[in-house]
Amino acid sequence: MADEDLEQLLDEESELSLLETLDHVLNRGLVIAGEITIAVADIDLIFLGLNVLVSSVETAHEVLKERQQIQSPKSEV
Amino acid sequence: MTESKPKKVLKTPAGRAYYLYCIGEQEALASVYGNEMPPPIEPDTEFVLIDGGAGLSAVTSVVPLADYGEEALQSRVTDATWLAVRAMRHERVVEHFSRQASVVPLRFGTIYLERENVELMMGEIHDELLAIIERLRGREEWGLNVYSDRAKLTEAIVSLSPRLRELSEQAARVSPGQSYLLRKKIDSMREAEARAETRRVAAAIEQELLSAAATAAARLRVLKDEGGEQGEVAAKLAFLVQRDRFLEFRAAAERLAEAHEGAGFRLELTGPWPAYNFAAGGK
Repeated sequence: MADEDLEQLLDEESELSLLETLDHVLNRGLVIAGEITIAVADIDLIFLGLNVLVSSVETAHEVLKERQQIQSPKSEV
Repeated sequence: MTESKPKKVLKTPAGRAYYLYCIGEQEALASVYGNEMPPPIEPDTEFVLIDGGAGLSAVTSVVPLADYGEEALQSRVTDATWLAVRAMRHERVVEHFSRQASVVPLRFGTIYLERENVELMMGEIHDELLAIIERLRGREEWGLNVYSDRAKLTEAIVSLSPRLRELSEQAARVSPGQSYLLRKKIDSMREAEARAETRRVAAAIEQELLSAAATAAARLRVLKDEGGEQGEVAAKLAFLVQRDRFLEFRAAAERLAEAHEGAGFRLELTGPWPAYNFAAGGK
């Protein structure tokens, strides 16, 4: 099921833009966007540990790269 | 199902939570809300605008704790496909608002168990949120990726460095054993100089773009070296650019791309992004 979702996404977005989006949305940079919320973390906030996310992004990168290699490259929009 | 030893249960009675996308001024959000909205992070659920008082609202949607509870989420995000799909949905919602209003974009995974807690949070950091919204008004984030062609760069470095040239000539004269050691030394020197040159170029590009395009701020995000089709990522820079000065900014980036092409650098501009890298409080 999730794979179908991904297929649909990849129809709409190139792998490259998907990776860029992951980088932004999941925060691999130095600045932790969660700062705002972490400051009030005692009010019952669920905030993912940065480490978990970082390793998830690495995994996502690998998966997408593998896909890129398996599929013959589609022409980009 | 058998009863297993009770684990520490999270205080999550209702089975659902609020997932946050962005925070903005109530009026501005309301005028954009509902109008050709992309689906929420879980498409069968609903958006909820939470009033944070004093003119601020948060864009949220309801998510099931079965997937978004603390422990559930930690394991969900290890599934790259699951994560990529959600990250993209998150991005589309935030983009929908950030293109048309000044908002504080939140990244993936900001989740509150109770609506009151969202209200409480906004009340508590109300001034900070307003200051960020003001700072981001009329601006958007652009990313600049700097890729380097290490082979090309290393070549350029050898011809530039007299010390390296000297060592290479020496290596050609000495015995095979000595030559081996010398060459190893040369290789590591070249690597070090290539890294230093990359840092220097990235810093120069950052400076130039900041002054040339009158941008408000820049953040340098240097990632670890990543090989890819485009070469190694030497640096990832983020700029907060005034919308009405974007053409200037782009022209400056194009000039820089040309200037550094010969030395093996390639520049790539991405965006516009919600200002994720500029949404933290403080300076």
